[in-house]
Amino acid sequence: MGQSNDGSAPSSNRLTRRELLKKAGAGAVAVGVAGAAAPYSFAGPLRYKGRYLKGDLSIIQWVHFVPAYDVWFDKTWCTEWGQKNDVQVNVEHINNTLLDTRAAAEVAAQSGHDLFFNLHPMASYEDQVINHASIVHEIEAKVGKYGDLGRLSTYNPKTKKYFAVSDNYVPDPVIWRHDLWNDVGESPATWDHVRKAAPKLKANGHPIGIGQSQEVDSNMALMAFLMCFGGFIQDEHNRPTLYSKHTVEAVQFMTDIYKRGEDSAIFGWNPASNNNYLYAGTASMILNAISATRTPESLNLPFSDNLWIWPIPAGPNGRLGLEHVMGCYNIWKFAKNKENAEKFLADLCINYKAATTASQLYNFPSFPGAFPFPAIRKAAAADTHKPHGKYTILTTIAQRYTHNIGYPGTTNAAMDEVFSKYLIPQMFARVAQGKATPTESVRDTMSVVKGIYAKWRKRGKI
Amino acid sequence: MGAALKHKLFSYAVAVPLAVLLGFPFFWMAVTSLKPEYQVYDPTKVWHFHPTFASYGFLFHHTAYLRWLRNSCLVGLAVVVITLVVAMPAGYALARLAGRAGRTMGVAIFLTYLVPPTLLFLPLSRVVAQYLHLSDRLWALIVVYPSFTIPFAIWLLMGFFKTIPQELEDAALIDGCSRLGALVRIVFPISLPGILTVVIFTFSLVVNEFVYAITFISSSANRTVPVGVPTDLIRGDLYNWPGIMAAILIPSIPLALVYNAFLNRFIAGFTGGAFR
Amino acid sequence: MRFAHAAGGRSRFRYALERRGVLAALLISPAVLFIGVLVGVPLVLAVYLSFTDATAGSLTGKWVGFDNFSNALHDQVFRDALWHTFLFTVISQAIVIVVAGLLAHALVRSFRGRWLIRFVILLPWAAPIALTAIGFLWFYDPQASIFTWILEHLHLTSKENPPNWLGTPRAAMSSIITVQAWRTVPFATVIFLAGLSSIPQEVDDAAAMDGATGLRKFWHVSLPLQLPIALVAVLFGIVFTATDMVVPYILTNGGPFNSTQVLTTWAFQTGINAGNIGEGAAIALFMLPLLAIVVIGMLFFARRAEVT
Repeated sequence: MGQSNDGSAPSSNRLTRRELLKKAGAGAVAVGVAGAAAPYSFAGPLRYKGRYLKGDLSIIQWVHFVPAYDVWFDKTWCTEWGQKNDVQVNVEHINNTLLDTRAAAEVAAQSGHDLFFNLHPMASYEDQVINHASIVHEIEAKVGKYGDLGRLSTYNPKTKKYFAVSDNYVPDPVIWRHDLWNDVGESPATWDHVRKAAPKLKANGHPIGIGQSQEVDSNMALMAFLMCFGGFIQDEHNRPTLYSKHTVEAVQFMTDIYKRGEDSAIFGWNPASNNNYLYAGTASMILNAISATRTPESLNLPFSDNLWIWPIPAGPNGRLGLEHVMGCYNIWKFAKNKENAEKFLADLCINYKAATTASQLYNFPSFPGAFPFPAIRKAAAADTHKPHGKYTILTTIAQRYTHNIGYPGTTNAAMDEVFSKYLIPQMFARVAQGKATPTESVRDTMSVVKGIYAKWRKRGKI
Repeated sequence: MGAALKHKLFSYAVAVPLAVLLGFPFFWMAVTSLKPEYQVYDPTKVWHFHPTFASYGFLFHHTAYLRWLRNSCLVGLAVVVITLVVAMPAGYALARLAGRAGRTMGVAIFLTYLVPPTLLFLPLSRVVAQYLHLSDRLWALIVVYPSFTIPFAIWLLMGFFKTIPQELEDAALIDGCSRLGALVRIVFPISLPGILTVVIFTFSLVVNEFVYAITFISSSANRTVPVGVPTDLIRGDLYNWPGIMAAILIPSIPLALVYNAFLNRFIAGFTGGAFR
Repeated sequence: MRFAHAAGGRSRFRYALERRGVLAALLISPAVLFIGVLVGVPLVLAVYLSFTDATAGSLTGKWVGFDNFSNALHDQVFRDALWHTFLFTVISQAIVIVVAGLLAHALVRSFRGRWLIRFVILLPWAAPIALTAIGFLWFYDPQASIFTWILEHLHLTSKENPPNWLGTPRAAMSSIITVQAWRTVPFATVIFLAGLSSIPQEVDDAAAMDGATGLRKFWHVSLPLQLPIALVAVLFGIVFTATDMVVPYILTNGGPFNSTQVLTTWAFQTGINAGNIGEGAAIALFMLPLLAIVVIGMLFFARRAEVT
C-alpha cells in the first residue's frame, strides 16, 4: 500500500524518529553489529549511533502496480537504509498520471522532493536537475555497466549530461489467449500471422486489442510496431526521420489489421482499457506489461492459465520492442539533501535484485549486473503459474527485443514532446478511421515532428 | 384549482424524468460498489452477483479515506468562513455604496475567473512555497481557495443585497444608526438565505477542486478526497471500480442532503415562507 | 459641547465611516487583497511566461515576443481546440439553461416527493467532479458500459455494433458535453430557483389579476424579473465550462486524435506534459480576451433588460 512515512511538521518528525529508535531498539544494535553480514551492501560506512537520525531525504514516486513492491520499498528498504545511513527517509506515492503535474509544480516553486521519480525520463527538465554522472559511475563501479537501454534513455549526448538515472524498466511483451488462437490455428509469431488470424479471431468474437488512443499503451505499442517495419521517429543522430516508406507501410498494415480484426472501441481507450478488454475475456491479444497476466491470476479469472507471454511479433525489419515504462529518478538542483539522494539512488540500483524480486519480476534493473539475466530467468522459472515457465521469456525480451524510446537515437526532449502529444497514435488513428490516407497522415505528422525538433534544437538540447 | 393541478402535473412530468436521468449514474455507482472486484468485468454478472461491502471495507481500513474526508471537510468549512467574512462586506459595498465604480469593480472581480487554474497553479505554487511557506500543508489550500470562491460569493451577495429594500436601511439610518451598524444589525440578519446559498456554493467549489490540491499537497495524510482516491484506488492500469464508486457515494449523499436542507431554508426565507 | 469634545477623535473616524466611499473601500479591501495576491500576481506571471520560451516548470525564459501566440494561431490543433471549446461550452450550457429552467419551474411549487427529487437532482453537484469523471469512464467503458447495456436491452442498438462512446469524434464530443451538462444542471437549477422564488407575491397576484397566465406570464413577467439572476447562472456556467479541463481530460484526454481537445486540455498537454510552459501559457491566455468580451457583452445586455 502506498502509505508514506509522514513527517510533515517538525514536531511530528521528531516523534517519528523517536518511535523509530524505540522500535528499532535491539534490532538496531543487531543490525549495526551484523552490518557486514546484512543482505545489503551499502556504499559507505555504517554510522548508526543510537541518536536521532541526522539527515533527511524526501522521495516521491508512483503507486506501484504491485502493492507488495510499495510495502517492501517503504517498510523494508527505506527503513533499513535510513537506519544504516542515519537519514530519515520520507516516501510519498501518488498516481503516476499526476507525476508530470507535480514535477512542473515543484520546479515552479523551486522546492520539492529530493528524489523525483517518473515513469518516463523527463528529458525536458534537464536544466532543472543535477548531472547524475557521479551516481552512474558509482553504481557501475559496483555492479557493472549501465545497460544500453537505461543509458540511451537518460543521457544527453549534446550537453553530455545524465539528466536522470533509471533504476528499472518494464519489458513489454505481447499477451495472447492461447486457447482462442489455437481455435483458429494460428499464433502471433509475426505481424503477418496476426493480420492473417485477425479476421478469424474477430469472427469468433475475440478481436485483437491494440489501442490507437491518446494514452501511453497505444503510444508504446504503435511506436514499437513502427520499428518492426523499419519506421523510426529519429535516427541515431536525433534527427527526425519519420516520413519514410516503411512508416507508410506500417500505417497501412495496422489499418488492415484494424479493419479485419479489431473493434472501433480502440480509439477511445485509456491505459486500463486494453487490460479490461482482456479481463472481460474478449481480447485475443494485447500489448502490455505483465500486469495483464498478474491481475487475472490474482482475480482467479477462468482463462488466466491460457494467457501466454511472447515477444512482440516480428515485422519486415525484425523484432523490435520498447519498454512498457521506465522508472527514472532525478534530483532537482534545488534539492535540499542532494548527497543523501545520490547515495540512496546508488544503493538502490546496486541492490536492485531485492527490488525486482519484490515487484514479482515487474521491474527489471537498468543496471543488469545487479540481477543478471540468468538469475532472473531462474527466479522466473520458479513461478508456479501455468503454463510453467511462462515468465522466463521476459529475460529474452529484455535482453534482445527491448529498446529505448527514440531508438536508434537517445530519448530527448523533442522525443518526449512527440510522446506526450500522442502524435503517433493520432497518425495511425486518422488513417484507420478513414480521415486520411497513410501518406497524408505520415507527412502531416512529420511536419509537426520537424517543427518540434527544430524548436528543441534551437534551445540547444539536441 | 385547475391551475394548481395543471402545475402539479407539469412538475411531475418534468421533474421525475429529469431526476431519473440525473440520478441514474449514482444508482449505477451504488450497484457497482457492491460488486466483488473480480466480477466487475464479467459481462454475465451485470445484475446477478453476490453483493458485498468489501469495497467499503477496503476504503475505510486499507486507505486513508477517512483522513481525506476529514481534510476535505476541514478545508471546506474554513474556506466557507473566510469567504463569508470577506465577501459579505465586499458584496454590500458594491451593491449599495460604490455606485458606478461599484458596478465596474463588480465586473472586474468577475473577470478573475477567466484565467484557467490549469496554468495558474504554476506561478501559484511558487507563491505558496517560497512566499507563504505553506508547502504540503492544508493551510495552503485554505489560503488559496478563497481566491476563487470570493468573487462568486460577492456576486451572489450583491444580488441578494440589491433585493433588500433600501427603505429598511434608510429607516435605521434615520433612527440614528451608523452605516456600519445598519449593515451589521439590519442587513446581515435578513440575508441569511444569501449566506446559506454562499455556503452551499463555496463548499461545492472547494469539494470539486483538484488541480491546486495536487499541486500543493503531496503527503498522503494531507490529501483531500479528489486527490487521495485516484492515488490509492488506481494502481497503474488497474482501476478498483467498486472502490472508486463507493468513494464517490460516501461524501456525495450527505452533502446532497445538507444542500437540500439549506435549500429549503433559503427558499422559505426568501418568500416569507407562506405560499410556495 | 463637552459631549462633542470628548467624542472628538472617535466621531471623526465615525464620520469617515459614514462616507460611502471610505466605507466601501474599507469593506472591499480584504477581497481585493485576496484576489490581488492570489490571482493577480500569478496572472501577471502567466502573461509574462506566455511571451517567453520557458520550459519544464521554470518560471523564467528567453523573451520571444508574440511567437507563442502566432505559432498557436498557425497550429491546426489549436484552431480546432478553439472551435471545440466553443462547441463544448455553448452546447452544454444551452442544454443546462433549458433543463435548469424547466426544473426550476417544476420545483418552485411544493408537491409530494419534491424533497426526494431535489435530493437526487443535487447529487451530481455534490459529488466531486474529478471522481465522477473517473466514474463516467466506467459508465462509458467499451466493455462494460451500462448505457450500452440499456440500449441493447431496449433493442436500440445491436450487440455487434455497440455505441463507441469515447472512440469516435462525434460520440466523444457528445459524451463530454453530456457529462458537463449533467454536472452543471443542479448548480443552474438552484440559481434559477432563487430567481423564481424572489419574485414577490404581489407581482404574481398582479399578473393573475391582469389575466396573464402560463406562457404569457412567463414571457412578460417571470422572465424579465429573473433575468439578472438567470444571467449570473448562464455567465458562470459559460466561464466555468470554458476554463475547466477535468471532464475532457479524464474522459478522452483530447482524443480521438484531438477531436475533443479544448483549449484548457491543449494548454495542459503542451505546457505540462510536453514541458513547453511558454506555449501552454499563451494557449491558456487566449481565452481571456474572448471570454472577457462575452462576459462584458452579456452584462451590458443584462443591464439594458434589468427590471429594478
